[in-house]
Amino acid sequence: MKLSGKTAFVTGARGGIGRAIVARFLREGAVVHAADLPGSGPDGAQEDGSRFVGVDVASEADVAAAMAEVRERSGKLDVLVNAAGIELEKTIEDTTLEEWNRSFAVNVTGTFLTCKHALPLLRAAVAGAGDGETTASVVNFGSYDGFLADPGLAAYCATKGAVHALTRAMACDHGPEGVRVNAVCPGYIDTPMLQSFFDGAGSGGDGRSIEQLQDAVRGVHPTRRYGTPTDIANLVNWLASDEAAYASGQLWVLDGGMSAQAQQMRL
Amino acid sequence: MRGSALAGTGHTAVVTGGSRGIGRAVVDRLRADGGRVVTCGRGARPDDLPGDVLWVQADVSDADDAARLLAEADRAFGPVSLLVNNAGVQVEKTVAESTDADWGLVVGANCRGTFHTCRAVLPVMTEHGGVIVNIGSISGNVADPSMALYNASKAFVHGLTRSIAVDHGPAVRCNAIQPGWIMTAMAEDAFALARDPEAARRDALARHPAGRFGEPADIAKAVSWLASDEARYVTGQFLTLDGGLTAASPLAPGLF
Repeated sequence: MKLSGKTAFVTGARGGIGRAIVARFLREGAVVHAADLPGSGPDGAQEDGSRFVGVDVASEADVAAAMAEVRERSGKLDVLVNAAGIELEKTIEDTTLEEWNRSFAVNVTGTFLTCKHALPLLRAAVAGAGDGETTASVVNFGSYDGFLADPGLAAYCATKGAVHALTRAMACDHGPEGVRVNAVCPGYIDTPMLQSFFDGAGSGGDGRSIEQLQDAVRGVHPTRRYGTPTDIANLVNWLASDEAAYASGQLWVLDGGMSAQAQQMRL
Repeated sequence: MRGSALAGTGHTAVVTGGSRGIGRAVVDRLRADGGRVVTCGRGARPDDLPGDVLWVQADVSDADDAARLLAEADRAFGPVSLLVNNAGVQVEKTVAESTDADWGLVVGANCRGTFHTCRAVLPVMTEHGGVIVNIGSISGNVADPSMALYNASKAFVHGLTRSIAVDHGPAVRCNAIQPGWIMTAMAEDAFALARDPEAARRDALARHPAGRFGEPADIAKAVSWLASDEARYVTGQFLTLDGGLTAASPLAPGLF
């Protein structure tokens, strides 16, 4: 068990990817504080062994209260995973200021707030180990879209680019304190968010069915499939573990090789 | 001031592979900028090459030929102040399909050729100042399918570009241009081979935010700028000229 003795805090814990991460962390022996929007389900101790806390990551009061609870129950935090995020399917022309601000509030400010309030607990984990080797790990969620633009996702692309830069900046600032900071940058992952994206696309721009659309998207991947939440959890688990003790400041693209290729012209 | 040869745009320039396509557009532009231009190719002097351009029949994959090219340019026009490494070949194969001969051809022209001409010009440029512009490719960063050796050779060009900038500044500036789809005879051939050439052309066009393919003159304009004093703080860099192609996700356009 790679995470035994470690305490983890996972935001977006009731989303497709967040669930997979929580389940994997529990299997690896971690104490898991799972966070998602208040009212998204029962609070407190969960059947799987995690403990749920309702948090709007864009609210500093919520985040501070959640971290106070972590301090009270665990006294430290070894792993912070920022998987909470929202996607807005619009060009900038169609995006209202309110929508733009909400995108940044959740994806960027939320990451900032959890990191800011977790730092004392992350340092406590490093100091508590007292061996000069053990590190704490922050895993942010960037995106393939922080590198390459998908059409009609302008605010989302911009927030993910901001997360990438924040990840590197934090790695520089807090590496000397024993805190590693990385970002996972997923491509197309089979989650409710992706299904909603396909549903929103309706019959597709060229009249294809959702199934045909999905086949077309799979076909663009060198692996000929999308990623699964498990694929993401495998990487997050590694980054969270001591196996990744030298990994910091990096943007880990997990997209089945999609962005390794040039445009797939239909020749 | 060392590097006085950089003043203005009237360079003494060597452009490899200037018989046609991008290379020829660069030759034309550098002449228009007031430069004295030498170009080369493996064949005889093209009939339509302007009379004031010196043609040297040379294969840059051969070290002696590359040295002779630079020596003849020096003899004709004086110290070379601008080297544009444009000569290149592509072989459309995967690694499994590629033969030793394919390796020799692609690595010979694209890698050794660039290395040979740079090595030959560096003593002159170190003394008098100079600019090197290598033609890399977006394919050196992201893989075009079935272009394995070509893709790898362009990544080599990018790496060499950085190294020359680091090792031979401040006298020498070295940058690379990364073209995307530039409509040359080479690109027209690719469409001609498609199952439905017109559909292939429409699809490819839709992937270009600029709404068109590149033209050799687009590359020539960038070479002219990189060679000019306007770019005197630019070195070790890559200028991607692809009409926005690689800024976009590779999903089919109009899919959603």
